[in-house]
Amino acid sequence: MKLFSVAMAAALGILCHAIPAKAQEIVLGAVLPLTGPAAQIGLEEQQGVQFATDRINADGGIRGRKVKFIFEDSQGKPDQGVLAFNRLVDLHNTPSILTAYSSISLALAPLATRKKILVVNPAAQTNKLDDASPFLVNTIPLVRDEVEVMTKYAVAKLGKKAAILYENAAAGVDVRDDFKKAFEASGGTIVADEAIEFGSTNFRASLLKIAAAKPDFVFVGMTVGYPALADQVAQIPGFPIGVGTTFLRPIVGHPAAVGWFHSGIKSGMKPEDEAAFHKQFNVKEMTFFSREYANSAQIIFKLIDDLIAKNKPLTGENLKAALFEIKTFESPTAKIVFNSNTAKREVEIFRATATGRELVQASVN
Amino acid sequence: MLFLQLIADGLVNGCAIGVVAITFTYVYTTTGVFHVAHAGVFTLGGYLAWYLSKEGIPFVLCVALAMVICAAVGAAIEKGIYEKLLKRQATPLVQLIASLGLLAVLQNLVAILFTPNVLQFESIAWRMKVLHFGPIDLTIPQVLTVFTAFAAVYGLIYFSTKTNLGRRIRAVASNRTLAEITRLKPFEVYVYVMAISSALVVLPSVFIGLDQAMQPYSSVLVLLTAVIAVISGGLGSIRGAFSASLVMGIVQNAVLIVVPGRWSIALTFTLFIVFILFRPTGLFATKIRRAS
Amino acid sequence: MNFFLSYIILAEIFAIVALSTNFLVGVIGIFSVSQAAIMGVGAYAYAIAVMAGIPFPLALLLAITLCALLNVATSLPSLRLEGDYFVVTSFGLQIVATAVFMNWSAVTGGTSGIAGIPAPRFSGLSFDEPENFVFLSTFALGLASAGYWLLMRSSYGRTLHAIRLDELAAVAAGRHVLQMKLGISAVSGAYAGLGGALYAIFMSFIDPSSFEIHVSVLILTMLVVGGARTLAGSILGPFIILAVPQMLTLLALPPHLIGPLRSLAFGVILVSFMLWLPKGLAGRKI
Repeated sequence: MKLFSVAMAAALGILCHAIPAKAQEIVLGAVLPLTGPAAQIGLEEQQGVQFATDRINADGGIRGRKVKFIFEDSQGKPDQGVLAFNRLVDLHNTPSILTAYSSISLALAPLATRKKILVVNPAAQTNKLDDASPFLVNTIPLVRDEVEVMTKYAVAKLGKKAAILYENAAAGVDVRDDFKKAFEASGGTIVADEAIEFGSTNFRASLLKIAAAKPDFVFVGMTVGYPALADQVAQIPGFPIGVGTTFLRPIVGHPAAVGWFHSGIKSGMKPEDEAAFHKQFNVKEMTFFSREYANSAQIIFKLIDDLIAKNKPLTGENLKAALFEIKTFESPTAKIVFNSNTAKREVEIFRATATGRELVQASVN
Repeated sequence: MLFLQLIADGLVNGCAIGVVAITFTYVYTTTGVFHVAHAGVFTLGGYLAWYLSKEGIPFVLCVALAMVICAAVGAAIEKGIYEKLLKRQATPLVQLIASLGLLAVLQNLVAILFTPNVLQFESIAWRMKVLHFGPIDLTIPQVLTVFTAFAAVYGLIYFSTKTNLGRRIRAVASNRTLAEITRLKPFEVYVYVMAISSALVVLPSVFIGLDQAMQPYSSVLVLLTAVIAVISGGLGSIRGAFSASLVMGIVQNAVLIVVPGRWSIALTFTLFIVFILFRPTGLFATKIRRAS
Repeated sequence: MNFFLSYIILAEIFAIVALSTNFLVGVIGIFSVSQAAIMGVGAYAYAIAVMAGIPFPLALLLAITLCALLNVATSLPSLRLEGDYFVVTSFGLQIVATAVFMNWSAVTGGTSGIAGIPAPRFSGLSFDEPENFVFLSTFALGLASAGYWLLMRSSYGRTLHAIRLDELAAVAAGRHVLQMKLGISAVSGAYAGLGGALYAIFMSFIDPSSFEIHVSVLILTMLVVGGARTLAGSILGPFIILAVPQMLTLLALPPHLIGPLRSLAFGVILVSFMLWLPKGLAGRKI
């Protein structure tokens, strides 16, 4: 069996030139939802990684060694994610893998532990990712950290009656649970609690029920479908203002969302980098996902740089050790600190205006 | 007036499902194919109209062109696949599986041609406008959904009872073997039926897309709901299928008053399963049987 | 070589589920499009039981028994409903099942699923590594295949074929058609339960997306491509269908096109098989 599978894999390897021709090249992997309802996000993530990779290669690579990212499609499904993970590790021997999507990251976690591969999660937020694996690190705060900041603000400024509108997916359900707990603990009441199916575009019934409950504000936990949501909110007179996390950011700019609040994980890019990104991918904006994936890729590059400098082999274990040794990753626009597997980041609060958004509460840690 | 508004929105959804239902049953009763790929034609129609409107073509023309192209696609499916299967005496199971395959082809063709992203008709400004009817608010696309749905139903009933081709289709539907002997050319009739149904199903697709947004993979649930309406209404009855669709649309929204939204689909389908077990002939069964 | 082994393991698991579907669709003629839902119940039942501290063999038995009973219940409408009617009912059951997996959070973990499902250990040998697990899945498939083979060659199997071909004649010949149909449904359910439990062990994580309507259609595709009503067909199908996405990843395609192209390829395969090879590679007429 073993011999057979080795032979098969070797054959496959020759087929796709998987066995790196240049020993100098550093091969890394990313398991992203490139198809299915989250495909749009997956594409943004991929562009972020590609951007960071092209940049470092244009500068001559990491200490003279070029970097290559291999992208695998998880289709948004855990079993495909597991297959993709094994493909990356077995055929390409990648010491580190970028992941996306809560459920897939959870499915990859035990494999990360077993194979000792550093899995870096730049965007999935479900709380379970905190201690899913010692080899899984989250470069953004999880749902509970962000919801806590936003809830405090909402209780103080907006009122004690709230509704929840959330996506019926891992992170959305976490938003519901965490907000409910935090809000009720500070004396608030939840007057409506409405789920939306992931990828659906008909929100009208949920919005009507929320509006009818007359809350002071509605906490929104969604990741996709914002243009349709904004349109349908605009059609309901007297709809309460919305409040949410970083993921609510795409609704900013829609007239219906003026006055809405969202917490934001402090991050960004230098304007010239952002301009280069727009040019490279022909897009109007470098989204949160693109930025975070570019950022996380850069963190991995830094770890590799450190290992090469110290002449240590590029293994998941060494990468992980380097991460906690370096601990603080400071770029011009984001400060990321790893005291645990989940990064500490600055969280700010913004209010959407007619033209953009304004900072209403500076970062808290 | 939350309840009234929910009922009104449910009625609009019911109308959209209704057009899918009547066109599905028209194909099913005539050709005998369980045409699941109808959901793919539905998706294709909406995206075609979206693409044309983005190119600056007047909206009415976009819809008309999308209908013409989908009619051609429907006819091609019949000629190229279903006809071959029928001539080879393929069992209903084989036909159904082929149709499932076609559905995957159409949906993913749309995803490849127009991206898998959620798309909106951004170039059409009036899609957001709300009209007030007493306590009820409806958007212009919602109103148009209702009008076109009724036009489609009564148009199809008129066509099927008052025109020569319509009567020929009904004759073929009632007995294919006899139709072959009497030179009604059933296979030619099937092509017409597929073309007509494929053109009509573009209407709800475009108006739902205008009103909400579009996604290549969401039409399967629309079709399943429509098929359930077809069966509840009694196979073969256009009026029955449409009425049952309206009932389903309204029930799906009305239960939201007491049930959280995430349980509404499960509840509707469970009700259907119970219903079908106790009354397998549906509400308004007619004498038109499926061709076999 | 985990990549290749995980492909083999998943194909073997799906072969067991394909056999389950084969009993219904191929052998007795109940056109079920909800076998992924039954498989899901097996996976959840196993996961919940094992995480509540029930030992491996008992948890497995529980999953298998539950699925056998459930499959009998979901096949019952087929006694009353004809062909296409049952298809729709079956689609409906699949949708209801997915909604229950997603929303009955207290039991199923909802959309977050169940993570960290432990693999069984036998005398210090853990089955969480693919190189060990492959023996478990191969053994299970061997057992399932032997069961299928023996059953089809028994007089029971021959009667089942007779029922599919002509139910009235079978009734007239004094066969207990009802009991036979329910019996085979139970066996089919047990197979799906076994497949589901193995899936839960191997992935160590389950969530509703693994048991959706698309998976049911995928299982059906496997059965049809391999060929219905034969043992070889049910085993061949999953190995071929699961290899398609793996092969596509080897082509240098733009990543955003890979997914739709893969699904498109499945569609083309299905239509082509129905047009030119409706028996599948190693099956009989369906």
